[in-house]
Amino acid sequence: MNSLTKASTLSSENISVWFGQRQVLSDVNLVFPANKVTALIGPSGCGKSTFIRTLNRMHELIPGAGLAGSVFLDGEDIYGEDFDAVSVRIKIGMVFQKPNPFPTMTIRDNILSGLRLSGRKIENGDEVAETSLRRASIWNEVKDRLNDQAISLSGGQQQRLCIARSLAMNPQVLLMDEPCSALDPGSTRRIEETIKELSSSMTIVIVTHNMQQAQRVSDQTAFFLADDNTPGGVVEFGSTEQIFNGPIDQRTNDYVNGHFG
Amino acid sequence: MSFAPRPAVQPWARVNTARRIQILLASVLPLAATVLIIILTGLDKNMALLGVFLPLQLIAAAVVGFNAFGKRGVGDAALIVLVIFFATFVLVLLASVVVSLVSQGAQAMSWGFFTTNNRYVSNTTSLEYGGVGHAIIGTLLVVGLTTVVTVPLGIAMAIYLTQSQSKTKGVIRTLTQAISGLPSVVAGLFILSIAITLDWQKSGLLGSMALLPLMLPTVARVAEEALRLVPVDLRYAALALGAPNYRAFFQVILPAAKSGLVTAILLGVARIIGETAPLILTVPISNGTSWDLFSGEIMTLPAYVYNYLGSAFVPSQNRAWGAALVLMILVAILFGTTRILSRSKSLKSKPTKEKASK
Repeated sequence: MNSLTKASTLSSENISVWFGQRQVLSDVNLVFPANKVTALIGPSGCGKSTFIRTLNRMHELIPGAGLAGSVFLDGEDIYGEDFDAVSVRIKIGMVFQKPNPFPTMTIRDNILSGLRLSGRKIENGDEVAETSLRRASIWNEVKDRLNDQAISLSGGQQQRLCIARSLAMNPQVLLMDEPCSALDPGSTRRIEETIKELSSSMTIVIVTHNMQQAQRVSDQTAFFLADDNTPGGVVEFGSTEQIFNGPIDQRTNDYVNGHFG
Repeated sequence: MSFAPRPAVQPWARVNTARRIQILLASVLPLAATVLIIILTGLDKNMALLGVFLPLQLIAAAVVGFNAFGKRGVGDAALIVLVIFFATFVLVLLASVVVSLVSQGAQAMSWGFFTTNNRYVSNTTSLEYGGVGHAIIGTLLVVGLTTVVTVPLGIAMAIYLTQSQSKTKGVIRTLTQAISGLPSVVAGLFILSIAITLDWQKSGLLGSMALLPLMLPTVARVAEEALRLVPVDLRYAALALGAPNYRAFFQVILPAAKSGLVTAILLGVARIIGETAPLILTVPISNGTSWDLFSGEIMTLPAYVYNYLGSAFVPSQNRAWGAALVLMILVAILFGTTRILSRSKSLKSKPTKEKASK
């Protein structure tokens, strides 16, 4: 795997987010070390998904969005002058909550779409497609139907196709926004296995509502919470072991033990 | 080994004999009563249809519905009767247009009618001679030129209306809607007045210019809807892969909206292909074939119909009906082929989808 790009460390510094006049996140400071899986947990509406979208500059696509603070990729500010949104997103891939393969393209074209869309020349497309599909553990299911339309796949397969599509870009960081929330347990398990394998070559941040999933896949966990009418923020951040078995904050304890949320 | 009786495939659709008889009576009696009343009183047939048949049918259906399901059955029955009645009404209207067009136009139909022009035809020349070949060519040229210019403009407007965050787009959308209410004769007069002011000669080009404001709003509005229907997820997916906006648009959003955009073009063409007034005002008609859009006379199908329909001579009137039928056939062919072309891709993907879900 030495042809792959090295994983990078990602960190956020005092990230605050507004939609219009309303502040939804306040001073989020998190570090995502290379080759680690970080889970973002918390009740709905606490700003996890909003936060993860600031990490690859997808946040700014929403009309009325505002941001303060910095996000560093290996020490460089992705909101700084040396970076533009497109080059950030090439390095930091994203998988969405709902599988969103391109419906007009075949499975193979979906995998290569990232390269095409970012204007790169495609050499050995078959090899790229196979490697990416293998890394997303979906190669065996689709190898005989690479020229079928992507929407002919099941939901779980579509989601793994979307992961493979991101992997074809060789990202240094992969952001996953509740990637399993629309999937059945079998597909969920396969994606979790994929996440573990991928962490050897990239940094992964995953938003999840599933506490067991956070425990199974992540090395460290951040607990987000928003009290009524106040912006959300990180209550506690630490190793997954510590967050789930010895949380310091009472609210974290209540949440991970299912007392609310 | 014994066989169990075959279970009812649709148990909810079981109907007993008593109700079967009721339904039969309810569907025959109102019609019979209406016919009887027409015969006895000499009531106007259309009046009887609305004033006698419809109320009787409603009452009959309501009674059956009430017997079967009580109060809620009445509403269901009334809805069914109204839907079938008015759907039939509209179908009959449409069918009668087609039937009269076909029956009146059929006598003019021959291969020669499609291929020859009217250069040596007078008002009394029999239908074996002459035809609408020159008008077909003229219509295709004028409408083709309008389409070639309008479609990029309309789709560009749709792109602006869907992709831009600008505040002016509300104004532009309202203006577009306002233009779509423009009487076509005004569009023709407008172009004509420009032509007179600038001392341009009437030509097919002027006709195209007059058709443009009629086609543009249709194309823009339908294309806007088509683009709006593309899920925003797809755009995000493309941008998250590092696509610049223009590539996300051309490689993902536009292909996803393809069939809707084809519909936009079709509806636009349908809007203008039969337009008569602007063409009469701006395009000088001819009896010979012309391929020149930019100068001289050129015939179009609507102008041909208009020109011959007012004639006192039967062969000319028949020519007009024939030309109208040709216009309808032309539209049918255009729509048919475009539909097949734009559908072929999505059809291919559907069977595999069903296969996968089983």
